[in-house]
Amino acid sequence: MKMHQNKIACKECGLILKKPKADHTHQFTCPRCKACVYKFGQDYETIILMTLTSLILFFPSITLPLLTLKIFELEQTTTLIETVFIFFDNGYIGVSIFITLIGIVIPFLMLLLILFILIPLKNGSSHKKVSGFFKLYEYLLEWQMAEVYLLSIFVSIIKLNKMATLHVETGLYFFCAFLVFMFITINFFNPYDIWNKNEV
Amino acid sequence: MKYDTDKNLLLVVCTHCGSIFNKKHTICTNCNSTMTQRKKHAFIKTLCFTLISIIFFIPANVLPMMHVTTLGTVDSSTIFDGILYFIDSKSYGIAAVIFIASIMVPIFKLMVLLFLLFVVYFKKTQFARTAIKYFRIIHFIGKWSMIDIFVVALMIVIVQFGHLTSISAGAAAPSFTVVVIMTILATQSFDTRLLWDEE
Repeated sequence: MKMHQNKIACKECGLILKKPKADHTHQFTCPRCKACVYKFGQDYETIILMTLTSLILFFPSITLPLLTLKIFELEQTTTLIETVFIFFDNGYIGVSIFITLIGIVIPFLMLLLILFILIPLKNGSSHKKVSGFFKLYEYLLEWQMAEVYLLSIFVSIIKLNKMATLHVETGLYFFCAFLVFMFITINFFNPYDIWNKNEV
Repeated sequence: MKYDTDKNLLLVVCTHCGSIFNKKHTICTNCNSTMTQRKKHAFIKTLCFTLISIIFFIPANVLPMMHVTTLGTVDSSTIFDGILYFIDSKSYGIAAVIFIASIMVPIFKLMVLLFLLFVVYFKKTQFARTAIKYFRIIHFIGKWSMIDIFVVALMIVIVQFGHLTSISAGAAAPSFTVVVIMTILATQSFDTRLLWDEE
Protein backbone atom coordinates (compact mmCIF):
# COMPACT_ATOMS: atom_id res chain seq x y z
CA MET A 1 0.00 0.00 0.00
CA LYS A 2 2.93 2.31 -0.53
CA MET A 3 1.61 5.51 -2.00
CA HIS A 4 4.60 7.24 -3.53
CA GLN A 5 7.13 4.82 -4.89
CA ASN A 6 8.90 7.13 -7.30
CA LYS A 7 9.47 9.93 -4.82
CA ILE A 8 12.01 10.46 -2.10
CA ALA A 9 11.96 12.94 0.76
CA CYS A 10 14.77 14.88 2.40
CA LYS A 11 14.45 14.08 6.09
CA GLU A 12 16.07 17.33 7.21
CA CYS A 13 14.00 19.90 5.33
CA GLY A 14 11.00 17.93 4.15
CA LEU A 15 11.55 18.58 0.44
CA ILE A 16 9.94 16.01 -1.84
CA LEU A 17 12.25 14.98 -4.67
CA LYS A 18 11.96 12.74 -7.66
CA LYS A 19 13.82 9.54 -7.07
CA PRO A 20 16.99 9.67 -9.17
CA LYS A 21 17.70 6.74 -11.44
CA ALA A 22 21.14 6.24 -9.88
CA ASP A 23 22.29 2.90 -8.60
CA HIS A 24 23.12 2.52 -4.92
CA THR A 25 26.79 3.34 -5.30
CA HIS A 26 26.52 7.10 -5.59
CA GLN A 27 25.55 9.56 -2.95
CA PHE A 28 23.40 12.58 -3.56
CA THR A 29 22.43 15.58 -1.50
CA CYS A 30 19.28 17.61 -1.03
CA PRO A 31 19.32 20.66 -3.37
CA ARG A 32 17.78 22.92 -0.75
CA CYS A 33 19.46 22.11 2.56
CA LYS A 34 22.51 20.16 1.28
CA ALA A 35 21.74 17.23 3.56
CA CYS A 36 23.00 13.86 2.46
CA VAL A 37 19.89 12.11 1.17
CA TYR A 38 21.57 8.88 0.21
CA LYS A 39 24.98 7.64 1.28
CA PHE A 40 26.28 4.30 0.20
CA GLY A 41 27.67 1.85 2.72
CA GLN A 42 29.95 -1.16 2.49
CA ASP A 43 28.50 -4.60 1.93
CA TYR A 44 27.28 -6.63 4.90
CA GLU A 45 30.17 -9.12 4.94
CA THR A 46 32.75 -6.37 5.41
CA ILE A 47 30.72 -4.79 8.19
CA ILE A 48 30.25 -8.09 10.04
CA LEU A 49 33.98 -8.75 9.81
CA MET A 50 34.87 -5.30 11.13
CA THR A 51 32.32 -5.61 13.93
CA LEU A 52 33.74 -8.94 15.05
CA THR A 53 37.27 -7.49 15.05
CA SER A 54 36.19 -4.61 17.27
CA LEU A 55 34.28 -6.93 19.60
CA ILE A 56 37.35 -9.13 20.05
CA LEU A 57 39.48 -6.07 20.79
CA PHE A 58 36.91 -4.86 23.32
CA PHE A 59 37.57 -7.57 25.91
CA PRO A 60 41.33 -7.12 26.37
CA SER A 61 40.85 -3.36 26.36
CA ILE A 62 38.61 -3.43 29.41
CA THR A 63 40.33 -6.20 31.37
CA LEU A 64 44.02 -5.45 30.82
CA PRO A 65 45.62 -2.78 33.03
CA LEU A 66 45.26 0.69 31.60
CA LEU A 67 47.64 2.76 33.70
CA THR A 68 49.98 2.35 36.65
CA LEU A 69 50.33 5.30 38.97
CA LYS A 70 53.17 5.62 41.46
CA ILE A 71 53.35 8.10 44.32
CA PHE A 72 56.39 7.63 46.61
CA GLU A 73 56.29 3.87 47.24
CA LEU A 74 52.59 3.35 46.61
CA GLU A 75 51.63 1.78 43.32
CA GLN A 76 48.21 1.49 41.79
CA THR A 77 47.11 -0.16 38.59
CA THR A 78 43.77 0.63 37.03
CA THR A 79 41.75 -1.22 34.44
CA LEU A 80 38.69 0.13 32.71
CA ILE A 81 36.43 -2.40 34.37
CA GLU A 82 37.72 -1.38 37.82
CA THR A 83 36.78 2.23 37.16
CA VAL A 84 33.15 1.19 37.24
CA PHE A 85 33.41 -0.40 40.69
CA ILE A 86 35.46 2.39 42.25
CA PHE A 87 32.75 4.88 41.29
CA PHE A 88 30.12 2.87 43.08
CA ASP A 89 32.22 2.62 46.22
CA ASN A 90 32.64 6.38 46.30
CA GLY A 91 28.97 7.17 45.99
CA TYR A 92 28.90 9.02 42.66
CA ILE A 93 26.22 6.69 41.45
CA GLY A 94 24.33 8.95 39.03
CA VAL A 95 27.34 10.40 37.27
CA SER A 96 29.14 7.06 37.27
CA ILE A 97 26.28 5.15 35.65
CA PHE A 98 26.01 7.83 32.98
CA ILE A 99 29.73 7.90 32.23
CA THR A 100 30.09 4.14 32.12
CA LEU A 101 27.05 3.96 29.86
CA ILE A 102 28.17 6.42 27.24
CA GLY A 103 31.86 5.62 27.42
CA ILE A 104 31.87 1.84 27.47
CA VAL A 105 28.46 0.16 27.45
CA ILE A 106 26.87 1.99 24.51
CA PRO A 107 29.79 1.46 22.09
CA PHE A 108 29.74 -2.25 22.98
CA LEU A 109 25.97 -2.42 22.65
CA MET A 110 26.07 -0.71 19.25
CA LEU A 111 28.48 -3.29 17.90
CA LEU A 112 26.23 -6.08 19.18
CA LEU A 113 23.24 -4.35 17.56
CA ILE A 114 25.02 -4.25 14.19
CA LEU A 115 25.43 -8.03 14.44
CA PHE A 116 21.80 -8.44 15.54
CA ILE A 117 20.70 -6.45 12.49
CA LEU A 118 22.96 -7.95 9.85
CA ILE A 119 23.13 -11.64 10.75
CA PRO A 120 19.35 -12.22 10.58
CA LEU A 121 19.24 -10.24 7.34
CA LYS A 122 21.95 -12.39 5.81
CA ASN A 123 20.01 -15.48 6.83
CA GLY A 124 16.99 -14.20 4.97
CA SER A 125 14.89 -12.65 7.74
CA SER A 126 12.47 -9.89 6.85
CA HIS A 127 13.33 -6.23 7.33
CA LYS A 128 10.47 -5.65 9.73
CA LYS A 129 11.91 -8.09 12.26
CA VAL A 130 15.15 -6.18 12.68
CA SER A 131 13.70 -2.68 12.53
CA GLY A 132 13.43 -2.55 16.33
CA PHE A 133 17.17 -3.11 16.71
CA PHE A 134 17.76 -0.60 13.96
CA LYS A 135 15.71 2.08 15.71
CA LEU A 136 17.66 1.53 18.91
CA TYR A 137 20.93 1.72 16.96
CA GLU A 138 19.87 4.97 15.35
CA TYR A 139 19.00 6.40 18.77
CA LEU A 140 22.23 5.29 20.43
CA LEU A 141 24.34 6.81 17.64
CA GLU A 142 23.97 10.20 19.30
CA TRP A 143 24.89 8.92 22.73
CA GLN A 144 28.07 7.02 22.03
CA MET A 145 31.05 9.03 23.17
CA ALA A 146 33.88 6.51 23.20
CA GLU A 147 36.22 8.78 21.27
CA VAL A 148 35.65 11.56 23.79
CA TYR A 149 36.43 9.05 26.51
CA LEU A 150 39.73 8.19 24.84
CA LEU A 151 40.77 11.83 24.55
CA SER A 152 39.88 12.37 28.19
CA ILE A 153 42.17 9.48 29.15
CA PHE A 154 45.02 11.32 27.43
CA VAL A 155 44.14 14.60 29.13
CA SER A 156 44.10 12.95 32.55
CA ILE A 157 47.42 11.25 31.81
CA ILE A 158 48.99 14.63 31.15
CA LYS A 159 47.31 16.09 34.22
CA LEU A 160 48.44 13.26 36.49
CA ASN A 161 51.96 13.22 35.11
CA LYS A 162 52.61 16.36 37.14
CA MET A 163 51.45 14.68 40.34
CA ALA A 164 53.01 11.26 40.12
CA THR A 165 54.88 8.81 37.93
CA LEU A 166 52.67 7.19 35.32
CA HIS A 167 53.16 4.14 33.18
CA VAL A 168 50.95 3.43 30.22
CA GLU A 169 50.05 -0.25 30.09
CA THR A 170 48.85 -2.54 27.31
CA GLY A 171 45.16 -1.97 27.99
CA LEU A 172 45.35 1.58 26.65
CA TYR A 173 46.78 0.41 23.32
CA PHE A 174 44.00 -2.16 23.02
CA PHE A 175 41.43 0.50 23.84
CA CYS A 176 42.83 2.77 21.11
CA ALA A 177 42.72 -0.08 18.60
CA PHE A 178 39.18 -0.94 19.65
CA LEU A 179 38.05 2.65 19.13
CA VAL A 180 39.71 2.95 15.72
CA PHE A 181 37.99 -0.22 14.51
CA MET A 182 34.66 0.78 16.01
CA PHE A 183 34.87 4.19 14.38
CA ILE A 184 35.57 2.63 10.98
CA THR A 185 32.74 0.10 11.43
CA ILE A 186 30.17 2.73 12.34
CA ASN A 187 31.19 4.93 9.42
CA PHE A 188 31.15 2.10 6.91
CA PHE A 189 27.78 0.81 8.01
CA ASN A 190 24.87 2.55 6.39
CA PRO A 191 21.73 1.24 8.10
CA TYR A 192 19.50 2.71 5.39
CA ASP A 193 20.81 0.08 3.01
CA ILE A 194 18.42 -2.26 4.81
CA TRP A 195 15.54 -0.35 3.29
CA ASN A 196 17.14 0.18 -0.10
CA LYS A 197 18.05 -3.43 -0.79
CA ASN A 198 14.53 -4.59 -1.60
CA GLU A 199 14.04 -1.83 -4.15
CA VAL A 200 17.07 -2.42 -6.35
CA MET B 1 9.59 30.37 -4.81
CA LYS B 2 7.31 27.60 -3.63
CA TYR B 3 8.93 24.31 -2.81
CA ASP B 4 7.23 20.90 -2.85
CA THR B 5 7.50 19.97 0.80
CA ASP B 6 5.67 17.18 2.56
CA LYS B 7 3.49 19.75 4.27
CA ASN B 8 2.45 21.52 1.05
CA LEU B 9 1.66 18.27 -0.76
CA LEU B 10 -0.21 16.85 2.30
CA LEU B 11 2.16 13.95 2.65
CA VAL B 12 3.82 12.34 5.62
CA VAL B 13 7.37 10.98 5.59
CA CYS B 14 8.51 8.06 7.71
CA THR B 15 11.66 9.40 9.39
CA HIS B 16 12.85 5.88 10.00
CA CYS B 17 12.83 4.27 6.56
CA GLY B 18 12.06 7.23 4.30
CA SER B 19 8.79 5.99 2.78
CA ILE B 20 6.24 8.61 1.79
CA PHE B 21 2.50 8.29 2.46
CA ASN B 22 -0.62 10.41 2.26
CA LYS B 23 -1.28 12.51 5.33
CA LYS B 24 -4.01 10.27 6.80
CA HIS B 25 -1.58 7.41 7.46
CA THR B 26 -0.09 7.25 10.94
CA ILE B 27 1.77 3.94 10.84
CA CYS B 28 4.36 3.16 8.20
CA THR B 29 3.47 -0.05 6.35
CA ASN B 30 7.10 -0.63 5.51
CA CYS B 31 8.66 -0.61 8.97
CA ASN B 32 5.77 -0.23 11.48
CA SER B 33 7.01 3.09 12.92
CA THR B 34 4.52 5.74 13.93
CA MET B 35 4.66 8.77 11.67
CA THR B 36 3.92 12.44 12.26
CA GLN B 37 4.43 15.24 9.79
CA ARG B 38 6.63 17.16 12.24
CA LYS B 39 8.14 15.99 15.50
CA LYS B 40 5.62 16.53 18.27
CA HIS B 41 6.11 19.67 20.44
CA ALA B 42 9.55 20.16 18.89
CA PHE B 43 9.68 23.91 19.50
CA ILE B 44 8.61 23.90 23.13
CA LYS B 45 10.83 20.92 23.97
CA THR B 46 13.90 22.56 22.47
CA LEU B 47 13.08 25.80 24.27
CA CYS B 48 12.76 24.08 27.65
CA PHE B 49 15.95 22.05 27.30
CA THR B 50 17.83 25.17 26.22
CA LEU B 51 16.57 27.17 29.20
CA ILE B 52 17.49 24.40 31.65
CA SER B 53 21.01 24.23 30.29
CA ILE B 54 21.40 28.02 30.44
CA ILE B 55 20.41 27.92 34.12
CA PHE B 56 22.80 25.09 34.94
CA PHE B 57 25.63 26.68 32.97
CA ILE B 58 26.20 29.25 35.75
CA PRO B 59 26.86 26.83 38.67
CA ALA B 60 28.87 24.65 36.31
CA ASN B 61 31.37 27.45 35.80
CA VAL B 62 31.30 29.14 39.21
CA LEU B 63 31.39 26.14 41.55
CA PRO B 64 34.47 23.92 41.96
CA MET B 65 34.82 21.01 39.55
CA MET B 66 37.06 18.87 41.73
CA HIS B 67 38.73 18.80 45.14
CA VAL B 68 42.28 17.47 45.36
CA THR B 69 43.21 16.44 48.91
CA THR B 70 46.94 16.11 49.52
CA LEU B 71 48.02 15.23 53.08
CA GLY B 72 44.96 16.84 54.60
CA THR B 73 44.93 20.09 52.61
CA VAL B 74 42.05 20.48 50.19
CA ASP B 75 42.60 22.23 46.86
CA SER B 76 39.42 23.05 44.94
CA SER B 77 39.43 24.10 41.31
CA THR B 78 36.78 25.26 38.85
CA ILE B 79 36.83 24.50 35.12
CA PHE B 80 38.65 27.75 34.46
CA ASP B 81 41.26 27.03 37.15
CA GLY B 82 41.94 23.76 35.36
CA ILE B 83 42.66 25.65 32.14
CA LEU B 84 44.94 28.11 33.94
CA TYR B 85 46.77 25.16 35.49
CA PHE B 86 47.56 23.77 32.05
CA ILE B 87 48.72 27.18 30.81
CA ASP B 88 51.01 27.53 33.85
CA SER B 89 52.50 24.12 33.25
CA LYS B 90 53.05 25.01 29.56
CA SER B 91 50.69 22.38 28.11
CA TYR B 92 49.09 24.88 25.76
CA GLY B 93 47.56 22.22 23.50
CA ILE B 94 45.60 20.61 26.32
CA ALA B 95 44.62 24.02 27.69
CA ALA B 96 43.19 24.90 24.28
CA VAL B 97 41.30 21.60 24.02
CA ILE B 98 39.72 22.02 27.46
CA PHE B 99 38.91 25.68 26.85
CA ILE B 100 37.25 24.95 23.51
CA ALA B 101 35.44 21.84 24.72
CA SER B 102 34.13 23.04 28.06
CA ILE B 103 33.67 26.80 27.68
CA MET B 104 33.46 27.78 24.01
CA VAL B 105 31.43 24.82 22.75
CA PRO B 106 28.62 25.04 25.37
CA ILE B 107 28.23 28.80 24.87
CA PHE B 108 28.25 28.40 21.09
CA LYS B 109 25.70 25.60 21.31
CA LEU B 110 23.35 27.65 23.46
CA MET B 111 23.64 30.63 21.10
CA VAL B 112 22.92 28.47 18.05
CA LEU B 113 19.93 26.86 19.79
CA LEU B 114 18.51 30.29 20.59
CA PHE B 115 19.10 31.35 16.97
CA LEU B 116 17.28 28.25 15.69
CA LEU B 117 14.34 28.96 18.00
CA PHE B 118 14.31 32.58 16.80
CA VAL B 119 14.22 31.50 13.14
CA VAL B 120 11.39 29.05 13.77
CA TYR B 121 9.31 31.34 15.97
CA PHE B 122 9.45 34.40 13.71
CA LYS B 123 9.30 32.33 10.47
CA LYS B 124 12.49 33.87 9.11
CA THR B 125 12.81 31.32 6.32
CA GLN B 126 15.53 33.36 4.61
CA PHE B 127 17.86 32.33 7.46
CA ALA B 128 16.98 28.66 7.18
CA ARG B 129 20.05 27.70 5.18
CA THR B 130 22.44 29.39 7.63
CA ALA B 131 20.53 27.94 10.56
CA ILE B 132 20.76 24.37 9.34
CA LYS B 133 24.50 24.79 8.75
CA TYR B 134 24.99 25.78 12.39
CA PHE B 135 22.60 23.04 13.51
CA ARG B 136 24.84 20.47 11.83
CA ILE B 137 27.91 21.99 13.50
CA ILE B 138 26.44 21.79 17.01
CA HIS B 139 25.11 18.33 16.27
CA PHE B 140 28.66 17.24 15.47
CA ILE B 141 30.58 18.99 18.26
CA GLY B 142 27.97 18.43 20.97
CA LYS B 143 29.46 15.40 22.62
CA TRP B 144 32.97 16.84 22.90
CA SER B 145 31.97 19.04 25.83
CA MET B 146 31.70 15.86 27.92
CA ILE B 147 35.50 15.68 28.00
CA ASP B 148 35.92 17.60 31.27
CA ILE B 149 33.44 15.35 33.06
CA PHE B 150 35.28 12.28 31.84
CA VAL B 151 38.62 13.72 32.96
CA VAL B 152 37.35 14.38 36.49
CA ALA B 153 35.77 10.93 36.64
CA LEU B 154 38.95 9.21 35.51
CA MET B 155 41.12 11.20 37.91
CA ILE B 156 38.90 10.16 40.82
CA VAL B 157 39.30 6.54 39.83
CA ILE B 158 43.01 6.55 39.14
CA VAL B 159 44.07 8.58 42.18
CA GLN B 160 42.96 6.54 45.20
CA PHE B 161 45.66 6.70 47.83
CA GLY B 162 43.55 7.16 50.94
CA HIS B 163 44.89 9.93 53.18
CA LEU B 164 47.93 10.63 51.06
CA THR B 165 46.20 11.93 47.94
CA SER B 166 42.64 11.60 46.78
CA ILE B 167 40.40 13.45 44.38
CA SER B 168 36.65 13.98 44.70
CA ALA B 169 34.14 15.61 42.39
CA GLY B 170 32.78 19.08 43.15
CA ALA B 171 29.28 20.43 42.69
CA ALA B 172 30.09 21.68 39.19
CA ALA B 173 30.46 18.15 37.83
CA PRO B 174 26.76 17.20 38.02
CA SER B 175 25.70 20.68 36.85
CA PHE B 176 27.99 20.48 33.85
CA THR B 177 26.69 16.99 33.05
CA VAL B 178 23.16 18.40 33.10
CA VAL B 179 24.20 21.21 30.73
CA VAL B 180 25.66 18.77 28.22
CA ILE B 181 22.78 16.29 28.41
CA MET B 182 20.21 19.04 28.03
CA THR B 183 21.91 20.55 24.98
CA ILE B 184 22.09 17.11 23.38
CA LEU B 185 18.39 16.53 24.13
CA ALA B 186 17.59 19.97 22.72
CA THR B 187 19.28 19.25 19.40
CA GLN B 188 17.68 15.80 19.35
CA SER B 189 14.13 17.08 19.85
CA PHE B 190 14.51 19.93 17.36
CA ASP B 191 12.87 19.38 13.97
CA THR B 192 14.95 21.00 11.23
CA ARG B 193 12.01 20.92 8.82
CA LEU B 194 10.35 23.62 10.92
CA LEU B 195 12.98 26.08 9.67
CA TRP B 196 11.48 25.98 6.18
CA ASP B 197 7.81 25.96 7.11
CA GLU B 198 6.17 29.18 6.07
CA GLU B 199 2.74 28.83 7.60
